[in-house]
Amino acid sequence: MAHGLRPTVLMSDLSVATRPWTCPFCPLLCDDFGVEAGADGALSLVGSACPRAGAALGRFSSPASAATPALQGQLCDLDTAITAAARLLAASRQPLFGGLGTDVAGARALYALACATGAICDAAQGQPLMQGVRALQDRGGFSTTLAELRTRADLVLCFGGLPTARHPEFLNRAGLAVDDPRLLVLAEGEGDDLFDAAARLAALIEGRAAAGAPAALAAAAQRLQAARYAVLVYETSRLGRNGALVIEMLQRVVATLNRSTRAATLALGGGDGAATVNQVFTWLSGLPLRSRLGPQGLEHEPLVFDAGRLCADGAVDLLLWVASFGTEAPPPPPNTLPRIVLGHPSLAGVAGTDADVFIPVATPGIGSDGHLFRTDGAVLMPLHPVRPETLPTVAEVLRRLSAALAVVSA
Amino acid sequence: MSTLCIRGGLVVDPQQGADSVRDLFVQDGRIVAPLPAVDEEIDATGCVVMAGGIDMHTHIGGGKVNLARLLLPEDHRNTPARPPSALELASCGSCTPGTLLTGYRYVEMGYTAAFEPAMMAANARHAHMEMGDTPILDHGAYVMLGNDELLLEMLARGEDFERIRDYTGWTINAAKAMGVKVVNPAGISAFKFNQRKLDVDEAHVHWQVTPRQVLQTLARALRELGVPHPLHVHGSNLGVAGNIESTLQTIQALEGLPAHLTHIQFHAYGNDGPKKFSSAALQLAEAVNAHPNISIDVGQIMFGQTVTASGDTMRQHAQSGFASPRKWIGADYEAEAGCGIVPFRYREQSYVNALQWAIGLEIFLLVKDPWRVVLTTDHPNGGPFTSYPHLIRLLMDRTFRNEQLAKLHPDVAANAALRSITRELSLNEIAIMTRAAPARLLGLRDRGHLGIGGAADVVIYRNATDREAMFTTPEHVFKDGTLVARHGRITATPVGGTHFVEPDYDRGIEKRLRKHFAEHGQVNFDHVAIGHDELCRCCNGGRLLPAACFEGQAT
Repeated sequence: MAHGLRPTVLMSDLSVATRPWTCPFCPLLCDDFGVEAGADGALSLVGSACPRAGAALGRFSSPASAATPALQGQLCDLDTAITAAARLLAASRQPLFGGLGTDVAGARALYALACATGAICDAAQGQPLMQGVRALQDRGGFSTTLAELRTRADLVLCFGGLPTARHPEFLNRAGLAVDDPRLLVLAEGEGDDLFDAAARLAALIEGRAAAGAPAALAAAAQRLQAARYAVLVYETSRLGRNGALVIEMLQRVVATLNRSTRAATLALGGGDGAATVNQVFTWLSGLPLRSRLGPQGLEHEPLVFDAGRLCADGAVDLLLWVASFGTEAPPPPPNTLPRIVLGHPSLAGVAGTDADVFIPVATPGIGSDGHLFRTDGAVLMPLHPVRPETLPTVAEVLRRLSAALAVVSA
Repeated sequence: MSTLCIRGGLVVDPQQGADSVRDLFVQDGRIVAPLPAVDEEIDATGCVVMAGGIDMHTHIGGGKVNLARLLLPEDHRNTPARPPSALELASCGSCTPGTLLTGYRYVEMGYTAAFEPAMMAANARHAHMEMGDTPILDHGAYVMLGNDELLLEMLARGEDFERIRDYTGWTINAAKAMGVKVVNPAGISAFKFNQRKLDVDEAHVHWQVTPRQVLQTLARALRELGVPHPLHVHGSNLGVAGNIESTLQTIQALEGLPAHLTHIQFHAYGNDGPKKFSSAALQLAEAVNAHPNISIDVGQIMFGQTVTASGDTMRQHAQSGFASPRKWIGADYEAEAGCGIVPFRYREQSYVNALQWAIGLEIFLLVKDPWRVVLTTDHPNGGPFTSYPHLIRLLMDRTFRNEQLAKLHPDVAANAALRSITRELSLNEIAIMTRAAPARLLGLRDRGHLGIGGAADVVIYRNATDREAMFTTPEHVFKDGTLVARHGRITATPVGGTHFVEPDYDRGIEKRLRKHFAEHGQVNFDHVAIGHDELCRCCNGGRLLPAACFEGQAT
């Protein structure tokens, strides 16, 4: 889809809102458009046609949800739900905390509960998140941020295709028109083939032979070498099973370029709380997600502690699923695992019906304030509520759950 | 609230005068005049009593620290598991521990405050979040300026100094900072334009601004804004042989304005001798001794594995080939700053590393006025903060120091000037360098001393000839009157407070800033500033501790 360059709108020019809104529904966390609550309470976008934000807003009922918790499909009050959840956690030998669709406050509360229960934690989009983490752990990398790109880039190479389907506001944020001469889209290879494309590009940049490299790749290499400040943009969810290796190759391209000119990468991903919870767990514990507090101390297993794999292998006996944005990937398919779901009210009909405990929670940026990390990891954006909310936040529920667990376990 | 008497200890409180054996009384978290009766008494006979330690330059929170954690899972996995304690949450790491472990370890060592020196304005919320999750310790941060597009543009266009001063004041307020740090003035920005080196009087390739202009402007702005902590300077050419020239030019560029030159060890290198790398500690010390406007912290290196985490992208890129293990992270940030994370192992048998070690100690021992020298390793860049007790022993015990020197690269062991320096620092001088001086340099009036009305951040050390053991595990540590550690074990985990300053400035500058932020696609201008309520949430509900500004002086 084509997105033209939107002229910069200053908040002072917008009559609808005196305070900026931060859109929590994709990792760009745009704060240059707003949301309006209609007379019927329905939420609509103002100043943007972003389909991703529009669809996410459509999941909110009007007026604000009066959803109540449920115990095995039967409505109940919050205390009953929390006590039941605490009993499940106390009885679990190896719980899994999945989804992780929450903000900094939710992540802080989740870490305490993870320590108390020895839970393994993995995000709904754990695979792309950990591919980035593993590439960093193995080789490091050189990255840039949205404003740096907008200010400085004379070449923006979108590796794997234009990212606008999943990140509709990307070109606006980058200050690029869709036909901007600085924009170069490299759609060579899909999924696992992306590794070949990245490896050939790295070889071309290093001046080595890259047998069978398509002409577009060779042309891209020449443009990268000629650019003063090139940015390689990629979407983390698009890199396939070998994503960590693709990222390593792109980092090699950047490292080689940086010997003589300037270049950096910008990854698009880590939305729905994944990157935020990863940051918070990393600073609190010293280790990123896919970790747990085991008998020997903290353990970090970026491959073994994959939520889907653990569920499929029967290696965990309880799932606590957190999904407060309503945009998260769905939980692993139901099997024999007991499930506690802290989720967006719309999950009541989807994941909620077969959950042992379902607790509807407020969405940061709609019903509560909060903080999320932007895609570049450099900026922690503040979120603001747009309408009054009766539902508790994830952090509130988790704090009460921790307290109830202490009582149940005593 | 309860009252306490710490009886019969040797009170080492440089701000109040000479060391003396006396009783110390505490009420409601404050030091008070003698009380007729108290709820609790501690026998401190044979002990040394000091104010809580204050680390004024330690990378404990924010984007690059967390990147360093992400880069080195091997460092974190290998931390010995701590024995379980109901009060502590699990946390690990040795070069860049998790925030939880950072708080526990500092407090067990008798430190009660720590300051993050390199907060990006765009990353300020993140930095405050991490510091808020560092238990017990009070904290604060210096916001980075001097590589941001706006300041360089204003200088390049010759805009009025007052506008830049107002922008500086606005930034400090918005980021809730305790001061301003400049890192490789104009150099981080220059690297974005592919400039690889920038001397003090060399022009930025695009903006045609020199580091000298940036230094003068920011130092003057802080003086006029009345910010207690003077400009915190990470100078040009960090780590480069012969960089003493840049450092002396930096001191000269400040033209008598107050400034704090940080991790000065990395900026005190000559290029004499067969290896073209030599100690310039004597030249540096002479310059510091001759310029009362200058204070320093040392940035001592300690042997072993660590990671260097710096805002200086230009220099970190240049050093990245020395990474051990062989991986590193760099980043350009928001038309404002940058960072570079390079893991490093300092080796005793490396000539360069051995000399760096000697240079740091020579600086400590050659600068005459301890009130202008602060004990740091630039954690984690020179070594982790947990090595402070070892460093204190090196400074207090010449025999031990020369034994260590003898183990190093033979050329350094044989020729270092350090070998002939006989000075041994006293307990009083250590107390100055680790609490009294940092408190004074930061403008913390009720910290760093044990006078009446001071905060009851009090440490009781068992007086032992092995100073390393003594400073590793104090007997008692009190934070605002609460016992927080005993014999190296955490006994309470109150949330620390946040120090910051709120200088006045002309709000007319905000229109200009609003336009700049929109043009560069940075966050919405109305989202930049952190209010008190939000700061409190970021910092986990800890107390807000605004420090008073002094009457700004026109210069």
